[in-house]
Amino acid sequence: MKNTTLAIAFVSPALIFLLAVLGWPLVQAAILSFQDVGVIGSEGHFIGLGNYATILGGAGFWQALGRSIVWVLSNAVVQTILALATALVLNQKFPGVRIARTWIILTWIVPTVVVVIIWRWLLSSSGGIINPLLIQAGAIDRPVGFFATRESAMATLIMINSWRWFPFTTLMMLAGLTRIPGDLYEAARVDGAGTFQRFKRITWPLLQPTLMVLGVVGTLLSFNVFDVIWLLTAGGPAGATQTLPVLIYETAFKGYRLSQAATISVLTTILLMGFAFFATRAMAAAEADR
Amino acid sequence: MRRTLGQSLSLYGGLLLIALVIGLPFWWVLTGSIKLPKEIIQRVPTMVPQSFTLQHFEKLLQASDFPVYLLNSMVVALFSTAFTVLLALPAAYAFFRMEFPGRNALYKTILLAYAFPGVVVLIPLYGLFAKVGLIDSPVALVIVNVAFALPFSIWMMRSFLSSVPREIEEAAVVDGAPTLTILVRILMPLIAPGIASVAIFAFISSWTEYLFASVLIVSDARRTIPVGFAGIIGQYQIDWGLLLAGATAAIIPVVILFALVGRWFVSGLTDGAVK
Repeated sequence: MKNTTLAIAFVSPALIFLLAVLGWPLVQAAILSFQDVGVIGSEGHFIGLGNYATILGGAGFWQALGRSIVWVLSNAVVQTILALATALVLNQKFPGVRIARTWIILTWIVPTVVVVIIWRWLLSSSGGIINPLLIQAGAIDRPVGFFATRESAMATLIMINSWRWFPFTTLMMLAGLTRIPGDLYEAARVDGAGTFQRFKRITWPLLQPTLMVLGVVGTLLSFNVFDVIWLLTAGGPAGATQTLPVLIYETAFKGYRLSQAATISVLTTILLMGFAFFATRAMAAAEADR
Repeated sequence: MRRTLGQSLSLYGGLLLIALVIGLPFWWVLTGSIKLPKEIIQRVPTMVPQSFTLQHFEKLLQASDFPVYLLNSMVVALFSTAFTVLLALPAAYAFFRMEFPGRNALYKTILLAYAFPGVVVLIPLYGLFAKVGLIDSPVALVIVNVAFALPFSIWMMRSFLSSVPREIEEAAVVDGAPTLTILVRILMPLIAPGIASVAIFAFISSWTEYLFASVLIVSDARRTIPVGFAGIIGQYQIDWGLLLAGATAAIIPVVILFALVGRWFVSGLTDGAVK
């Protein structure tokens, strides 16, 4: 249907709204990053690139960036493995398949704070089930504090976040799996290919476009995770789980250095947009090669 | 086609494992909420409750601020849902059914907004809301929730709109019906599942939102469930019975919603997904 005026009338409310609530604040963040505002509401002066020199010259930003990269990559690996295995199971025919495909997403639709309560309780040393289970299995001798050491805190957070997100990834993979034509498998079966051969020669290569899209979207989505980390460890112990979003929040609302927080925000945005730009270009190139 | 014994074993074994990984944590929370306090903190936890009490729920409803948080969350979520649908529907129609200059570029830009880190605009938004007197107001939360739900909602409408044959609209045009009439009378009923899945997505996003609610809301009486609960978790002595009852109560509304329209939501999430 061609009716440009009407189309613009349909799009503009959403567009103007997004520009006002997301676009304009981004500009404000950029302006703030060139000033020296401390506490919210106080006046600032123009100080040029001073904040950028401070942030890029200090260790805090780079350490948080490193943790964010570890966070994103580990979540990607754990979730891809869990989701692929789950999707391969749910892609088969069995009674109740619809119900399974709907309710798998349960962990993703409950509030994050509920996820936090669930896991704090399961992992707690009084009444939690995980410690007794691990003791019974012989993995540990006495109850451990999962958020007590630097490494175990990060690893535990990654497992909890993956538990919350892998069903979402599973549904996306299922969408990709259902697009693979069934005759391909039939033909392979006739040719005598086994289960593993069929996975390796058909499923895996044909799932690549799906995996690539998930890689880009998943990277951005896990990068942004804040509440699970904040509510479980608040970035601790000793900053071990302080990713970039946590650093921004702490700098602004605990450290009262608003302009510096805005500076980290601007740098983060540039990083993510740069990643999205190059990733989509690489995907388009891969598409063209196929 | 028949499955071999090995294939059946791996299928049902896999299903059982998935059910355990997802279901067991919920099972412990649900059953924990009706156990007596001394059973809750027992050193070796019980799989099936040995005691039964409603004292945690009584405390939750009578002695805590939970009913207030619940009401606040409900109001914010319902308004966020309504405005998201109102904005997403016409925009999605224009993007997927009409042509106008710059359509593709605009659509991609809006999609990018979905992956946008909320914490980046939190600081300037706080300043803007302070200027117009919206700090500590549920209106601010609704505005933020709609903005973050909108891009994904527009994208989700795609598969539902493309499932409607274009001939239906063309026939209406030939009959001389004005475009708005076509949209409301003819298209709306056909894409009802799509509207439902956008609504459920917007509701869940709002129901779950913590970051903005924790900063933009100041007074205890206006807190939503996520922030209200976070306050209880932060206390020195954790009352697990109360928290587990609260968690159970916070799960119920989304589970009911999902039982009604979850199937459409999942298809909205996956159908147009990989493109």
